[in-house]
Amino acid sequence: MVQQVMVQQVGAVTSEDGAGRAKGRSSLMRSPQFSSFVILIVLLVVFALADGNFLSPLNISNMMAFLPELGIIALGMTLLLTAGEFDLSVGAVFALAPVVVMLLVQNAGVDIGVALLAGLLLCIAIGAINGVIVTKIGISSFLVTLSMLLIVRGAALYITQGFPLKSWDQPGFFVTLLAGSFNIGAFRFYTSLWWFIGLSLLAVYVLRYAKLGNWISAIGSNRNAAVARGVPADAVKIWLFILTSLLAGLAGMISAFRISAASPVAGTGYELEVIAMVVVGGTALTGGRGTILGTIVGALMLRAIRNGIVLVGVPGLAYNIFVGVIILAMLILHALLQKNATRS
Amino acid sequence: MMQEVLRLQNLQKSFGSVRALKNASLTLKEGEVVALLGDNGAGKSTLIKAISGVFPIDRGDIYVRGEKVSIRSTREAMDLGIETIHQDTSLAPDLSIARNLFLGREPVNLKWLGVFAPLDLAKLRDAASALLKRVGISKKLDADALVSTLSGGERQSIAISRAMQFAAKVIILDEPTNNLGVEETHGVLRFVKEMRAAGHSVLLITHNIHHVFEVADRIIVMRRGEIVAEQTVADTDLLTVESLITGADLSALMKRAQ
Repeated sequence: MVQQVMVQQVGAVTSEDGAGRAKGRSSLMRSPQFSSFVILIVLLVVFALADGNFLSPLNISNMMAFLPELGIIALGMTLLLTAGEFDLSVGAVFALAPVVVMLLVQNAGVDIGVALLAGLLLCIAIGAINGVIVTKIGISSFLVTLSMLLIVRGAALYITQGFPLKSWDQPGFFVTLLAGSFNIGAFRFYTSLWWFIGLSLLAVYVLRYAKLGNWISAIGSNRNAAVARGVPADAVKIWLFILTSLLAGLAGMISAFRISAASPVAGTGYELEVIAMVVVGGTALTGGRGTILGTIVGALMLRAIRNGIVLVGVPGLAYNIFVGVIILAMLILHALLQKNATRS
Repeated sequence: MMQEVLRLQNLQKSFGSVRALKNASLTLKEGEVVALLGDNGAGKSTLIKAISGVFPIDRGDIYVRGEKVSIRSTREAMDLGIETIHQDTSLAPDLSIARNLFLGREPVNLKWLGVFAPLDLAKLRDAASALLKRVGISKKLDADALVSTLSGGERQSIAISRAMQFAAKVIILDEPTNNLGVEETHGVLRFVKEMRAAGHSVLLITHNIHHVFEVADRIIVMRRGEIVAEQTVADTDLLTVESLITGADLSALMKRAQ
């Protein structure tokens, strides 16, 4: 009986979409976000001890410049995965959006603001197509978004003829908004960090506290049950595909402005990196259980691993081995925690 | 005389060339438990899906408390006071009991925010606890526990209490005792009796005829998309009902065997 109660308490907080109330230290410590967080701390300590430069202002600034771009996509992906779908086309959208913006500006003489808007509208269209095909025709999101990846990446390569474009680099409102930078002490941060923080807070609110979050978790957990209660499952999924695509495009624009180049091959492989961030953080690939805090930890962890492994001198060609092993270890840990917490 | 709650008149539904529902009519009265029996493919599922708004009917009329209605979605069925509890698909296992109880009808603050409105978590929890207490399962279950931590019977109890909570006029139970243990099955049957006592009308779909005799007032038997018999439980017996379901005269066979 005591054990049963314990199990239920653990269950109650293993996901953010649960009742969201920590009932005791034991349950908090066994939640996936927390175990990811502990491992993140351990990794940071190990890297810091192994190489003194890991925690230097320059290195932290570098990590923080890169983190928001993948992190912003990961937020959308977390919500989408929680609803039981995923999107493999985000890396390609990350490249196409800024490429289209810069082509409009450079070749068609369109105002930068209008061009950015057009780029975002294109992302909305891509997400809507993904969502409609997945929900209305009933093809799995794996196949639909894999095809979309090829189409979008192909489009980016074709319209640029494979060459990177010089990005917008004249100072102004949009550059400041997307890729401005500021210093805090010895640290140099980009405005993208504010975007990431702001969007993260919004995502936490939606998933944990809003009515919509309840729907998203319910759809991913048991779509039929949600539909039977009158939840508009298809509409919610379509909007989440649109959101994910939109965030991928926004991240691509931020990246292009920061490095002053829009490349048609930017973001290659990002779809898997982003999904890894999300699941390492504790969100279930099968839907129903999503955690934004976990995704933030996951994003930090993957960036820290990629950065730290290079610093501690692992040969460049071997480094994906380590990344893969660490991700796998995290997933095994989550699976074991989950197994203890539920009864099927 | 008990008041009529639900009346179906000449319902028809085809899927392509298959006539799943040929001409089904039935009446459900207040505080009555009616068992809907029939072999696989008899049209039971089609009938309850039509009533619960999963798909529209081709022809026929549905009356709720004497008023003609059209049911085009699950939402509309719920708004008319028709709650359906499907076999295993009624709850989201990754959500807490409280969140499941109010799924689709969440209490919120700042209603004008639409789907972005914040859940009224205190109200959600209190209402869930009160409900669990009212249906007599609060001792064992915490409103914050995830449904995935519950047993099959506990899940069924939650689904049934959710239907009762919204003061549904008609509660449709689709194979509620499937995959349940003996004790859990009795729990669910006790629930059915409580629902009747509370004035709800229950349409019970089951394969277990013993359960029918334990809780039902009336039996309706379907075969090949048609209603072939309607009897009060007091006036019939197990063998007769089995013959009606299969279409073979079992009692005659039994007599011959003896």
